[in-house]
Amino acid sequence: MSVNPGQPVVAVVQRIEIKKLRQGENLILGFSIGGGMDQDPGQNPFSEDKTDKGIYVTRISPGGPADVAGLMMGDKIMQVNGWDMTMVTHDQARKRLTKKKEDVVRLLVTRKSLEEAVKQSMGKKYPCYKQ
Amino acid sequence: MSTPLSTESTGSRLGHMEGNGEISDTDSGIILHSGSDSPTTHTKDVTTHTRAMKLKHQELQDRLEICILELKKLCIREAELTGRLSGDFPLLPGEKPPQIRRRVGAAFKLDEQSIPQGAEDSELSLVDAELALQMKIYEAARKLCDEDRLSKAVRKSRLQQCKREEMKLKQLQEVAFQLRLEHGRSSPLPAFNITQHDQGTSDDSSLSDSVVQDEEVTSQSSQPSSGLPYPSESDAPQPPPGSVSSPSSRDGSYSSPSAAPQTLQLTPCQSPHPSLDSLSLTSSPLYDLPPIQHSPWTESSLDQPYQKTKKSRSSSKTSPAKSEVLPSLEECLGKSGLPLQLSHLKLSRAQSNSTPSTPEMRVHRQLSLRISNPESSFGHEKERGRIRGPRRRLTEYAITLPETPPCSVNYRNHTNSEDSNSEHSFSSYNSSPCHESPCDLPKHYQSPMLHSGPVSPYGPAAFPRTDFYLNPKHQSSPSIHKHYYNEEVVYSPDADLTQSYYAQQSPCPSNRYDYWYQEAALPHHRGPRPLPADIRLPPSPAQWDHHPHYQPAGLPRQVVNEQLKSWHRRSQLKAPRSRSLDRQGAVRFKNTPNRESPSFQSQKYEQIIQRRAHQRAVEDPQGHWDDGSHLMSQV
Repeated sequence: MSVNPGQPVVAVVQRIEIKKLRQGENLILGFSIGGGMDQDPGQNPFSEDKTDKGIYVTRISPGGPADVAGLMMGDKIMQVNGWDMTMVTHDQARKRLTKKKEDVVRLLVTRKSLEEAVKQSMGKKYPCYKQ
Repeated sequence: MSTPLSTESTGSRLGHMEGNGEISDTDSGIILHSGSDSPTTHTKDVTTHTRAMKLKHQELQDRLEICILELKKLCIREAELTGRLSGDFPLLPGEKPPQIRRRVGAAFKLDEQSIPQGAEDSELSLVDAELALQMKIYEAARKLCDEDRLSKAVRKSRLQQCKREEMKLKQLQEVAFQLRLEHGRSSPLPAFNITQHDQGTSDDSSLSDSVVQDEEVTSQSSQPSSGLPYPSESDAPQPPPGSVSSPSSRDGSYSSPSAAPQTLQLTPCQSPHPSLDSLSLTSSPLYDLPPIQHSPWTESSLDQPYQKTKKSRSSSKTSPAKSEVLPSLEECLGKSGLPLQLSHLKLSRAQSNSTPSTPEMRVHRQLSLRISNPESSFGHEKERGRIRGPRRRLTEYAITLPETPPCSVNYRNHTNSEDSNSEHSFSSYNSSPCHESPCDLPKHYQSPMLHSGPVSPYGPAAFPRTDFYLNPKHQSSPSIHKHYYNEEVVYSPDADLTQSYYAQQSPCPSNRYDYWYQEAALPHHRGPRPLPADIRLPPSPAQWDHHPHYQPAGLPRQVVNEQLKSWHRRSQLKAPRSRSLDRQGAVRFKNTPNRESPSFQSQKYEQIIQRRAHQRAVEDPQGHWDDGSHLMSQV
């Protein structure tokens, strides 16, 4: 997602609800994240904009809760249970996602395919849609 | 209003006085008109009287006017100083109070003087000076627009002028900004200031700035005060006394407009020079030090408790086995074509369940499947991840051997490469925590079925021993296993011996060590019997490291554990690979616990592998990607 300073950010988001799998003490989410404010965004293989410090889904364990919920590799996590995930450090995001008290996490994610789909469905009417 | 009244009263008084002094006047008038007839003299007297009185009246009025003018001047001057017209200002009945010219000129002068002083580069300072001036002009124009009691025409013209000045100001600001950029003083803050100016809030000068200016003003204002009328303001009617003291909302931000009009005038003139300096000073450090230092981009699994975040790498126990397993999988795939492998898997599974047709493959599959059984049972007692992978592998070895003693070596090695595939999947399955509990049942259930197959006569025999070795006591004696292994190495040709030893080894909880021993021993095997080197299991980093360590018998268990830990760490660093694949296998496993549909499983495998390959393709270009991947293992 490219962000122009001063411009409103439009993001097509999908709601995803992941029910954590309880495994003894551990709560299994079934995916991995990468990125965050404290990590070098240039190395993120998923982001279009190499300055994007957002939290990205780097891995989905097949059949895991995240996979079942429809989360996909490369998704950018915008919110977790209503908490912003676009301006957090890696560990903050981790913390947010792995709260032991919460058995369900609700994510707002955006992904390229989603945006493109919306774009196409909107046709050429909004050429500068993404701006 | 008192003044008009006074003029009237004086006028009436004059009339009285004229009446009183008629005589003298008439005298003179008579004298003047002495030549005329006496009867007309009276009337003449009257007319001359009135004329004289009129003259006097005129004279006095002139005087009064002069006085009033003088008063007005004084009032205006006072107003110029105080910013407010005094109530004594003489106003004729219809007259509007005059606009007071404020001393903006002083501010202009100040700005012009102060700006070029500090600025090093002439161009920039020139522009800055111009900018300051324009700022003042614009401000004045804007205030003129804001005045009330303006006729429409005047207001319109003032608006136009204001816009013109604004345009000029913006241009100047642009120029100044560009210049500043060129001079390497580019900091976002000056720009910000400028934009603020655009919005008309020109009074955002910092406190320190205003203070400095105030001092300058007070020292200089006395001089220019006389030269008040400045061209820019000359034509502008000043707001009425009341409106002057009620500045517009913008002016409200001034410290105290009515109380200190002079400073008020001066502070708003934002001299770019001081602000520039201070801003560039303060802002540059901000630029130099980003608030958050970047660490390399990593990923972290979310299936571990948060506390482990940073240490998860070193502490994760399951990952080493996997990481070790996975590269071998890769290599195996590369060596012996993927489809072939898949078909093997399929076949073996199916056969193991029902009727085995191809002995070799079947054996492998069965073995690997069976392996999981002791494994899972161990899982309860032991830490999950650590011991599993190797154990399984050991089992595998053990079972394969008995099957075909003569070609055991060859076969075994082959098995290694090939089985590593299936094994990987299973091992990963086991290691993935989520499946621990569910998988136990199916596996137990499974094992008897496998044994029933014609595969290895020794298999069943070995199995009971597994239980025996499950006993934790045996864990503490790795030396024993090693011993076994050595024997095996020596006597491997003898199927029976090998069998028994291997069988014993396989289920035992400490097979990790055994595993390594075995690996170490492999070369021995090769010595006597020719083996294609490439078929061999790809050496895992751990192998090299630990082979020497474990060769000496009877290491205390703690030492061994430490070694293992270090190996974990190293292997994690070296071989971060597709955990997800394993996991997938594991998941499928769980889904089809009874093995009823092996083909289904194999399909899954295909999917997995393809997916994996795809993933790899995506990831591989990024070298760094592998670093974090091992974190995935716990998912």
